[in-house]
Amino acid sequence: MSSQDNLTDDTTDFGFERVKTAEKAGRVREVFDSVAAQYDLMNDLMSGGLHRLWKRFTIELSAVRSGQTVLDIAGGTGDLAAKFSKLVGADGKVILADINAAMLSVGRDRLIDRGALSNIDVVQADAQFLPFDDNSIDCITIAFGLRNVTDKAKALRSMHRVLKPGGRVLVLEFSKPTSPLLSKVYDAYSFSALPAMGKLITDDADSYRYLAESIRKHPDQESLLEMVEDAGFVDCRYHNMTGGIVAVHRGIKG
Amino acid sequence: MDHDPAVIAGVSLAIEAVIAKALELSPGTQGRLKQLHPLDIELHCTQPSLRVFASIEEDGGVQIANYRETKATVSIEGTWRDFSRLASASDPAAALINGDIKISGDTAPLMQLQAILGELDIDWEAPIVDAIGPVLGHQLAEVIRAILSGSTTAHRRMKRQLSEFILEEGRLSPPKQELDSLFTAIDELVLRTDRIESRIKRIRKRASNLIGVVE
Repeated sequence: MSSQDNLTDDTTDFGFERVKTAEKAGRVREVFDSVAAQYDLMNDLMSGGLHRLWKRFTIELSAVRSGQTVLDIAGGTGDLAAKFSKLVGADGKVILADINAAMLSVGRDRLIDRGALSNIDVVQADAQFLPFDDNSIDCITIAFGLRNVTDKAKALRSMHRVLKPGGRVLVLEFSKPTSPLLSKVYDAYSFSALPAMGKLITDDADSYRYLAESIRKHPDQESLLEMVEDAGFVDCRYHNMTGGIVAVHRGIKG
Repeated sequence: MDHDPAVIAGVSLAIEAVIAKALELSPGTQGRLKQLHPLDIELHCTQPSLRVFASIEEDGGVQIANYRETKATVSIEGTWRDFSRLASASDPAAALINGDIKISGDTAPLMQLQAILGELDIDWEAPIVDAIGPVLGHQLAEVIRAILSGSTTAHRRMKRQLSEFILEEGRLSPPKQELDSLFTAIDELVLRTDRIESRIKRIRKRASNLIGVVE
């Protein structure tokens, strides 16, 4: 089901719940306000460190070169931005964007600690209404962020608008496991272990339950590929990782 | 791409960490590697199908990647067996030339890289000293060195004795000279057979021409 379908009755998914479209951004913000301080630690624990490998491959697919401008949407704690900062060098620029101020604040502090802010701009922005000029960005990445966006199609169109012709978008997101057995194990893990870990570390089981639910409501590989194509991107493809638990979609602006 | 990119990324990360540690313990090597930047090597394994890219960074570090869009400086292609043979060869340069591995692109930096790696001198005593202190660390390093040296000598001796047993006592394999002489004889026989075969062809052709004239 596309997010466009979700919007027909002015309600949308918030995990397994239906909420008013206008309320979703606020509810998502509450979740990320709650987990921001422990976000990276939780990511490591929840994925067993695999999120670093998924992001590493996404960076390889970006083929970013020195002097380019990269926009990392929903960049949160800034781990991708720090890597891109090295790749684009002093002549390039990285824009770390997130709708959530708490996540951006954690991200900015981490980047300052790493001494990586010289070519990074930090911007609080909604993926659906990107505040950048048309045809101004070489590469856009959104890692584990698209499923939290209220209108995914609108966000993809917004990304298409700001990308330069020939620029590429990379969407790294949880997806659908390709093996039924893995799918069952993954379900059990997501709905039992994940909230328990959330409770233990951040004393917030609900936020992690939302994360698990939002993953299930997110479009599968083929549906997301169709959405990327519908937004106007060409030469679209995806790569499954870890048996399809995660997929990275790539589209080029023609 | 047949393999899970996350698995390749994990393996690449581990290899990068090992290389980074080795370079840290051999700072001179990193300085020499810097001169090879921007060298990009593509390792293309045809069986099983896998492509890996290794590039020398500006600071002399090595980065391993699973995906590249730019053309590599030099591309090395072969099967997994070819690469394993190359890795375990006592003379990698000879194995590279005589093996089934295909190389395309600029091979000069590859030779430079091989020379640099040949001179790699890892100060493996340093991390032991860092971990347990200079006195005990050095003693432990001496013990490891003695064990390694002893095992190398023992390995060399065992190899020689095994070879002597196979050739002299067990008579399980003919000596190299006998084999060489047999192969030379076979080569001569092949040459003679070829000459006889072409002679027969010529005679047959002449005979068929003669029959045509008589008719």
